[in-house]
Amino acid sequence: MIRIAAARRGSFVDDLGSGTAAAGLALCLLLAGGIVLLLVRFGLAPFWPQPVVEYTLRDGRTVLGEVVARRGDAWIVRSDEHARPGDGYLRVREQEIVAERSPPEATVNVHADGRRSYRAGVSDAPAPDVVAAEPRNALTFAGKLAFFAERLRAYAFGGDRPGDPGQGLLPALAGTLTLVLLMSLIVMPIGVAAAVHLHVYAGNGRVGALVRGAVGSLAGVPSIVYGVLGLGLFVHGIGGGIDRWFYAERLPVPTFGTGGLLWAALTLAVLTLPVVVATVEEGLSRIPDTQRLGSLALGATRGETLRALLLPLARPALLSAWILAVARAVGAVAPLMLVGVVKFAPASPIDADFPYLHPSRQFMHLGFAVYDNALTSPDALVGVPRAYSAALLLVVLVLVLNAAAGLVGKRLRDRYRSFPI
Amino acid sequence: MSVSLRAQSALDVAALVQSRHASRRRRERFGRLLAALGAATVVASVLAIPVFLLFELLSPGAVPDGTFGRLGVLLTGTLRASLLAVLVAFPVGLAAAIHLVCFSTPQQRSRWRPALDLLAAIPTVVLGLIALTWLAPWLQSRIATLLVMTAAVLAAMLGVSVWLGARLRAHPVHRLWVMFGVAALVGACVAAWDPLAGTVEVSSPWNGVLVGLALGVAAVPLICSIAADALQAAWDRHVDAAVALGASRWQALRSLVLPAAGTGLGAAALLAFGRCAGETMILLMASGNMPVASADPREGLRSLSAELALSLPGAERGGALWRTLLLATLILFVLSWACNLAAGRLRARAFS
Repeated sequence: MIRIAAARRGSFVDDLGSGTAAAGLALCLLLAGGIVLLLVRFGLAPFWPQPVVEYTLRDGRTVLGEVVARRGDAWIVRSDEHARPGDGYLRVREQEIVAERSPPEATVNVHADGRRSYRAGVSDAPAPDVVAAEPRNALTFAGKLAFFAERLRAYAFGGDRPGDPGQGLLPALAGTLTLVLLMSLIVMPIGVAAAVHLHVYAGNGRVGALVRGAVGSLAGVPSIVYGVLGLGLFVHGIGGGIDRWFYAERLPVPTFGTGGLLWAALTLAVLTLPVVVATVEEGLSRIPDTQRLGSLALGATRGETLRALLLPLARPALLSAWILAVARAVGAVAPLMLVGVVKFAPASPIDADFPYLHPSRQFMHLGFAVYDNALTSPDALVGVPRAYSAALLLVVLVLVLNAAAGLVGKRLRDRYRSFPI
Repeated sequence: MSVSLRAQSALDVAALVQSRHASRRRRERFGRLLAALGAATVVASVLAIPVFLLFELLSPGAVPDGTFGRLGVLLTGTLRASLLAVLVAFPVGLAAAIHLVCFSTPQQRSRWRPALDLLAAIPTVVLGLIALTWLAPWLQSRIATLLVMTAAVLAAMLGVSVWLGARLRAHPVHRLWVMFGVAALVGACVAAWDPLAGTVEVSSPWNGVLVGLALGVAAVPLICSIAADALQAAWDRHVDAAVALGASRWQALRSLVLPAAGTGLGAAALLAFGRCAGETMILLMASGNMPVASADPREGLRSLSAELALSLPGAERGGALWRTLLLATLILFVLSWACNLAAGRLRARAFS
């Protein structure tokens, strides 16, 4: 009651103050929504069919193609490509254009090697290597939508045509997933053991304080420092040692002594260790004490209580810890740049050859694909849309994981709220 | 369901009691050993970082001349970027935290939290991409426009807040939606009008302002969540007394809650500073990576973390560059660790 009365009380200064506070939160919400919208907009734009336009220039030439960007006072037009994909970009300055039309029967021919060629009409016989002819300007809205859905399906499930923005993202996604799965296999047993030690054995004594301090310190270490540790200790130290002992005949060509999947997974495991320990320990401490005491009173040892009672009850916490660790690992790109991520891996780390998983191989990664396409791609007109597509995929992955962790955590909390204690 | 679960557990345990004693003791010891091993791994991984760095740096071999000058430039870059980011993020995060704690109901809070979680979950490489390809070309000639936009949006919001006064006071949801609309509208108007394009000269499109904004966005959720924790504790302690004495929410906040939560807010800023100092992808993509020793936010910069990501893959192990970069790593580690430790101490004091 008192608080409700206070809410209605107030003056000019109150309105200014609470208005500023609301402004801050409104800005946060705008940022979150804006970033997601921006990613959806730029990430999906390459899949939407662009109309084919024909410009007539002042000197009498005509340019047929699709507008891809604007630079200053000029349009960048993707036009016929003759030798390889990406060699047909033209810069058309606005003051040179005397007429513009979109020929209703214009088609885009996609060649087998990824090149595009543009025809104003359907009359000419298509070249033998044309794999698809798209009548872009004749599409109705529903037709455009179908085109968009088809390209998106090809992007998500493979079957991309050469030159599409999704090219190379599937191996990157596969590399990312292999990496985080291998990392989970390493981090989960260690993290759960440490959390159990903290909760069941160490308590609040000196050892507990030491381990808790260590977890806190680990959480504050910058991710790039983990990368340096991975490079110096795992790659050069352990990997170099393995090479000297087991692969001496191949030296100086390194087998494990260079960046690879295993070392990246180990590095990410150290990086995500604090997340796992903290989440599992919290889950264990949420279990009502009566459960544990009852078990102990019946004569069970601490280990038996743990195995038969606490760990099964804390299963949602384990799941939640795993999902959070994966979400953190998927977004961590900087350390990977030091321990074996590459822009193009000649061989996938997971394939049909025995032993199926090749931990010493280099791998591709979605986050690195974002960085690499945006910054080091020779052709920004291709690279940047590709980076946005990769970024959209990455963000969807992270958000789905986080939402899943949230749901699991909520289920855990609800379960103990209903406990009749 | 819970009752049967408990009965089942009790039966399980009773069955265990009847098993043989020697094997139970052995198993117990084994389980305990496994748990201790896990804990030891955690402690070892913390110790591994400084031990490895010091071991490599103290092994014989000279640090090349000029190393400290070069690292000094990188360190100023890191500090400048982090400072700008905290300057951008702290007011926003604090205001958001105040609104969440002091002017919202628990239901509204639980509705808005996911948006902040979403912001926190976005990988920094994505923020770097947006800063590099979308914000940088726009911002290059429009730093002044951005300042005008901020001022105009804030002024419009405050104006509406005072104008609608009592009608908004009891309805934080309405207030937020009104603010949301006013901010979007005024912001879009200023962006379209663009009065001061090109008035502030920048040396490159990748400059300190851009880095501060991008890094600030990354730091806002962290600051907001820690500041909200600190404010919530102080609010719960003081608000009833203040309101019973006739104070409004704002008066309670300003006179009692904010001073009481001061250490906690300081911890939030410190923690964000440490986090920004160690951040790599945004700096790598948006800072221009030019080693410039200047305090001017219009200049580009190169940070310790970006230097590591760019140079370490090509450094020969044990060589001069390798040692220089390990020294850089050590500086970065100590810097973020010190920030973390100080923030932890402050928080402990705030909550004791």
